[in-house]
Amino acid sequence: MKVEFALTEQKRARLKADKLDTGFGSFRNVEVTIGKVVDDDWDEPMGPTPMPDVTTLRSWDHKLLTRYRPAYMPACQLCCLCTFGKCDLTSGKRGACGLDIEGQSARIVLAAANIGCAAHLAHSRHMVDHMIHEFGPRFELTQGEGVEIEAPVARLVTGIRPRTLEDASAILDYCETQLTHTLSAVHTGQEGSWIDFESKAFHVGMIDQVGMEIADLAQISTLGFPQSDPEAPLVEAGIASMDPKKAMILAIGHNVVPATYIMDYASETGVTENIDIAGICCTAFDITRYDAKAKIVGPISWQLRFVRAGFADVIVVDEQCIRTDILDHAKKVNSPVIATCDKSAMGLPDRTDDDTDEIVKDLVSGKTPGVYLTDHAKIGEVVVKTAIKMHPKRKKKGSLPSKAKIQELAQACRQCSECIRACPNDQPVMDAVLAAQEGNLGPLADVYDECIGCARCESACPNDYELHSWMVKAAEGRWKQESFMVRSGRGAIKDTEIRTVGQPIVFGEIPGVIAHVGCANYPDGGRAIHDHAEEFAKRRFIVVFSGCAAMTVGTIKDEEGKSIYERRPGTFDAGSVLNVGSCVSNSHIAGAAIKIASIFAKRNLRGNYEEIADYIHNRVGAVGISWGAMSQKAASIAAGFWRLGVPVIVGPHGTKYRRMLLGRADKAEDWMVWDARTGKRVQVAAGPEHLFYAVENFEELMVLTAKLAIRPNDTAKGRAIKLSHYIDLHETYNGYFPEDVHSYIRRETDIPITLKDKIHAQMKENKWKEKPIPDPTLVRRLVYGGNGGGE
Amino acid sequence: MMRAEPWQSAEVCGPTKAQSIKKTAVVGALLKKAKHPLMVIGAQALTEKTRKKPMIDYCIELSTAGNIPIVATANTIKAFKEKGFDNAYSYGAMEITGRLQDHDWMVAPKKGPHDLVITYGYPYYMEWLMLSALINFSQHIKTVTIGRYYQPHATWSFPNLKKQNWNDALKEILTTVGGAK
Repeated sequence: MKVEFALTEQKRARLKADKLDTGFGSFRNVEVTIGKVVDDDWDEPMGPTPMPDVTTLRSWDHKLLTRYRPAYMPACQLCCLCTFGKCDLTSGKRGACGLDIEGQSARIVLAAANIGCAAHLAHSRHMVDHMIHEFGPRFELTQGEGVEIEAPVARLVTGIRPRTLEDASAILDYCETQLTHTLSAVHTGQEGSWIDFESKAFHVGMIDQVGMEIADLAQISTLGFPQSDPEAPLVEAGIASMDPKKAMILAIGHNVVPATYIMDYASETGVTENIDIAGICCTAFDITRYDAKAKIVGPISWQLRFVRAGFADVIVVDEQCIRTDILDHAKKVNSPVIATCDKSAMGLPDRTDDDTDEIVKDLVSGKTPGVYLTDHAKIGEVVVKTAIKMHPKRKKKGSLPSKAKIQELAQACRQCSECIRACPNDQPVMDAVLAAQEGNLGPLADVYDECIGCARCESACPNDYELHSWMVKAAEGRWKQESFMVRSGRGAIKDTEIRTVGQPIVFGEIPGVIAHVGCANYPDGGRAIHDHAEEFAKRRFIVVFSGCAAMTVGTIKDEEGKSIYERRPGTFDAGSVLNVGSCVSNSHIAGAAIKIASIFAKRNLRGNYEEIADYIHNRVGAVGISWGAMSQKAASIAAGFWRLGVPVIVGPHGTKYRRMLLGRADKAEDWMVWDARTGKRVQVAAGPEHLFYAVENFEELMVLTAKLAIRPNDTAKGRAIKLSHYIDLHETYNGYFPEDVHSYIRRETDIPITLKDKIHAQMKENKWKEKPIPDPTLVRRLVYGGNGGGE
Repeated sequence: MMRAEPWQSAEVCGPTKAQSIKKTAVVGALLKKAKHPLMVIGAQALTEKTRKKPMIDYCIELSTAGNIPIVATANTIKAFKEKGFDNAYSYGAMEITGRLQDHDWMVAPKKGPHDLVITYGYPYYMEWLMLSALINFSQHIKTVTIGRYYQPHATWSFPNLKKQNWNDALKEILTTVGGAK
């Protein structure tokens, strides 16, 4: 008889036996799980905060929030959440519950972070439960060769190293509990303090990073995705990469599981050559991680244009970032919709228990415009069969009007400006319509280039013009040529890569790690993030992408037609541009920063959040950027980085997150740290100056990125390198030598050699004095040998 | 169009709405009364024009005539420097919005604390939010926006104006402070 017995920290004890003889009888393949017990064979000592609850890390949050005070910009000065209201909170008034506008604004921040975390966590839960169902709870998790610290975020936060799907599930249990608590704090009559709302937002942001990491770890381990592979395949993307001769299956969303069944069914039935499967948003990346022959249509903002252009013979939606009116648009082009996730059933009939061929028949005949299915195997079969039958049948492919029709319809424009007033980016839609009256569709095509595809202009138009379709038609010549290569998601960063770059990053000689995450959904967003990435890669920063930004950056090609992924290596190294994968993969970016503390600095990770966050904040010049951030998920992702002390920059419409975290460089008292070597309080320069900042434009982004990479721990060489970049970009975009360079000079050796004269003059003018270079920490207990007795 | 309603349709505000500037003399009076006014100018000043004149030049004229220091946000500072204008200071739009919530803060010694802020040159939604911060957390400051569109979170704002009306209004303001040629 083979018997296994396992005990793990905060997990269940498990007894598994091939055969078990008891007083009740003889049993085969018995598996018994008992309660929660402590310990395993991991010899890393447990840190002080395994599985922190909502207030365990509060003091750390308060340190950050004291330095980076929230600056609120309320979108609404009313609270309408309870029946005491509406309450007017303008200018210091309090609501019936006692909350003021600061508290309410912070509450909104927490609400957004909760929603975002819930989306990722529910995705993660579905993934893990599904994989346990498919592969069993003991299925081993892996990130591939060269990765021994395979889940750094989970290790750091929970003190557990997840080795099996069951471990992953136990970690999600913890995450779900925390989310329930932070969500409950939003209820009327709970939290009332802005700083504690904010602290809870940081907490749920941290939980979000764990949930994302578990989701990606589970799918990487079970689905054969690239495992920490710098040379993950380059895959085809763009509308022109689709083969119109093949049946076209479009998958939209973030959860790849249904799409894998579609691909498997196509493969098993030998029809792979007859279909194209392509994705929009993160499912797009994950289908290419599953099969590099799958294709990427583009980011979230391309949904409407692609559907209306009529390419899709079947549309499959899973979860997150789906247009909620996708069914209406699909009906117009005779594309059946298959909803596959309980988060977005789209009002469609649940046909899971019906005969497959009956479902296909009803979809192909148009008897039903779509169905909701929860059985993955059935989804695979229904989708493939329907696509193949629909392809020759769909004569009316596309709902785009002719150019002549646009000109004709445009004559009746009322010139009311409602289209412009509805456009989030103030695009000159009406002027373009007026030009169309004369047969000139060029301006409509120009608006297409800047359009984020929201179609609010259409909703506002009193003539019910399908203005987005007009733009798409006007720009037909452009998008029909749209073809580019992007690198599929590589997954985590290898420990071996961290060993190579850990020291130069901490010392500042690799000036920083730039993480472009989330959407780039902003006019000319592709160009902005491409030029930013290219510039900083040239400057030997490491540039990491994930999510829709990772595909949008690929749309910009050089003279030879190559995307940035074809020009730059995918290793985690200076000058590289890499794609970790879909949105949930961005946890690997936080993971890389955490692993630097572990691998290079030999700090214990296990349940040791505050120390590691303090290390990262003071030493790792990482900067997160989300140029077109729009969702609550982006808010929770940012919150996870804030708690690690990593600054995040958002594009102009990121102001709509309504709260910045701003440092005050002019207040010396805000920039005091403990010197861990001496225990003395030491003033450092304002670095990173802000923790959350919405820039006004691309130019400000360029300067601020370089500035926010500065850290107190930079070596002299590292500081000089970082200052060189900051000064150069400031001179380029702001037109003059920055006036605050002297404040970043601690010793003569910090001065970039080629700029000595200018900096010396500024130092003299500002009566500069040499400053110590501490071993910086914000946490007094981390002073070597005690509690900062040298104060 | 002369409506005092948010230019972007969905950007409805709370109970407090900006007073509509019907007579530009109001702006002159506010400036005369203010002890330490400040102009906060964004990057749209680099591209927008009034009477064929770049708005950056108009801002310089208004600043000079009223002796009002300018905070130029993002890369707007470059244009001010290139034009030899030395009463401009560089801050980010979010930074200056934060700083103005500090009742003691001033852009330069003896030039504050500020009691009147004139804003111009931002995407509509961004200025809307910046002014929301000021109306809620900088009650010591009155705000005037001189963009074309109604900003309900300002203390004073033009209603949504046609370009010609806006041009005229800007000229009148400049005249009021003694700057028009």
